[in-house]
Amino acid sequence: MKEAAAAPAVYRYAFLTRASHWVWLVAFFVLVGSGLQIFNASPNLDASDKSDPARRVLAIGSPRDGVGTTSIFGRTIVTTGWLGWTGDGMGSRGAHAFGASMTIPGYQDLAGGRRWHLFFAWIATVCWLAWLVSSAIKGSLREMILSPDDVPKLWPMQMYYLKLRKTPPPHGIYNPLQKAAYTLVLFVIAPLVVVTGLALSPGIDAIANPLTVVFGGRQFARLWHFAGMLALLGFFAIHVFQVATQGVVNQMRSMITGWYQPQ
Amino acid sequence: MKRRLFIASSLSTLAGCGPISTALSQNQSVQRVLASAEGLNHALIGTRGLAREYRDRDVDRNFRVNGFATPSDAHYAALAAGDFSAYRLIVEGAVERPRALSLAELYAMPQRTQITRHDCVEGWSAIGKWSGVPLSAVLDAVIPRADARYVVFRCLDNDGAGNLYYESLDLHQARHPQALLALRLNDAPLDPDHGAPVRLRVPTQLGYKSAKWIGRIEVAGSFAKIYSGNGGYWEDQGYEWYAGI
Repeated sequence: MKEAAAAPAVYRYAFLTRASHWVWLVAFFVLVGSGLQIFNASPNLDASDKSDPARRVLAIGSPRDGVGTTSIFGRTIVTTGWLGWTGDGMGSRGAHAFGASMTIPGYQDLAGGRRWHLFFAWIATVCWLAWLVSSAIKGSLREMILSPDDVPKLWPMQMYYLKLRKTPPPHGIYNPLQKAAYTLVLFVIAPLVVVTGLALSPGIDAIANPLTVVFGGRQFARLWHFAGMLALLGFFAIHVFQVATQGVVNQMRSMITGWYQPQ
Repeated sequence: MKRRLFIASSLSTLAGCGPISTALSQNQSVQRVLASAEGLNHALIGTRGLAREYRDRDVDRNFRVNGFATPSDAHYAALAAGDFSAYRLIVEGAVERPRALSLAELYAMPQRTQITRHDCVEGWSAIGKWSGVPLSAVLDAVIPRADARYVVFRCLDNDGAGNLYYESLDLHQARHPQALLALRLNDAPLDPDHGAPVRLRVPTQLGYKSAKWIGRIEVAGSFAKIYSGNGGYWEDQGYEWYAGI
């Protein structure tokens, strides 16, 4: 570890932060895989309350054996092997929107997918809330949240990332773009995914119908729920890229042991 | 190098998830733990409030057929051929006054019409105008005994292997004002695909609870001894008994 030289290591991540980080990672991937399993049972997303082909935003299907197609806003492309006509987890292919390698369980099983999804939805939500409350009380949450002072620094930071600027703007533990990403994930996308998931429930719809209405109805809530999942996957991809490029050993060690070696 | 190693190990971890998730999906203890969320959801969400009721113009004129289409067995075909004039809805079990109700008798009971959304467990939704007898009115007519806890619906169709479709609600769910024994859909008598002559409508839960082709209603203290003991045909296939989410 060449980077472990000058400054002494600092204890950067509390146990709850590290534990919830890894629990959340597992829960997120279980939720994505089981969510795709559930999606496969009705592989359309409509911007409407009841199902409405006239307001279909996404449709993944198989018009005939051996062919998979994906339609977005009515534009259809052939996606055989990737979407629509994919592996069934038992050695052959069939009319499944997402292939068995991407779903939990790894074969067609809506009931099984729902069991995984409805259990890990609790794990992910409780984990997120527990961490949020604890770091708000400790005050460490403030370091991660975008403040008005950070806004003018967003663009210089982006320029620095693009190597169009030599030094990053002055910032604390997290730079302005990181803060923007964390704020978006923690306070916009995560709640959106939880609430739109709840809006799909006929039991909750009977208790709090406005919840479903504000998202444009039940099918629209399903669309938001799916879009939120894609946004979280996008965050995950950028996050992993950053970890991999910003001293992966140091980063991984700090999220496992808590100790971070300042550069 | 380190970066490449990191990405390679991440990818191989993901690739290992398929077999692991399959093994865990088939492990009974794991599945019991996962299924514990149902109790939590039932306790927290339960059956409260009223499902949204829509306007006439929101109705799907070609209401999508959920589950199975017209039952194929001869008994049902004979009833349908006679316009269900020989049909009797048997209501029995843990009740003071068992009844066998003809369609005419059901139509003579207090009627309710509700335009509600059907939320299928598969993810689609459709809106229908349902008319029929509130289930609570039928329960009032037979007077459940003190040991009654569940209302079990025995259907007229079988799955091809001889298993009759069935469903169940607890008395609280069964007494919900929108729990309806529907006789009509979109201003016409139910057709066989949609559950003629009598189907259940429970708009506060997913569509599979709304059993079609009801032949017999059995008020019971428990459903543990019926088929696999999970309270319904789909429940016996692994779906939740509480289908409010």
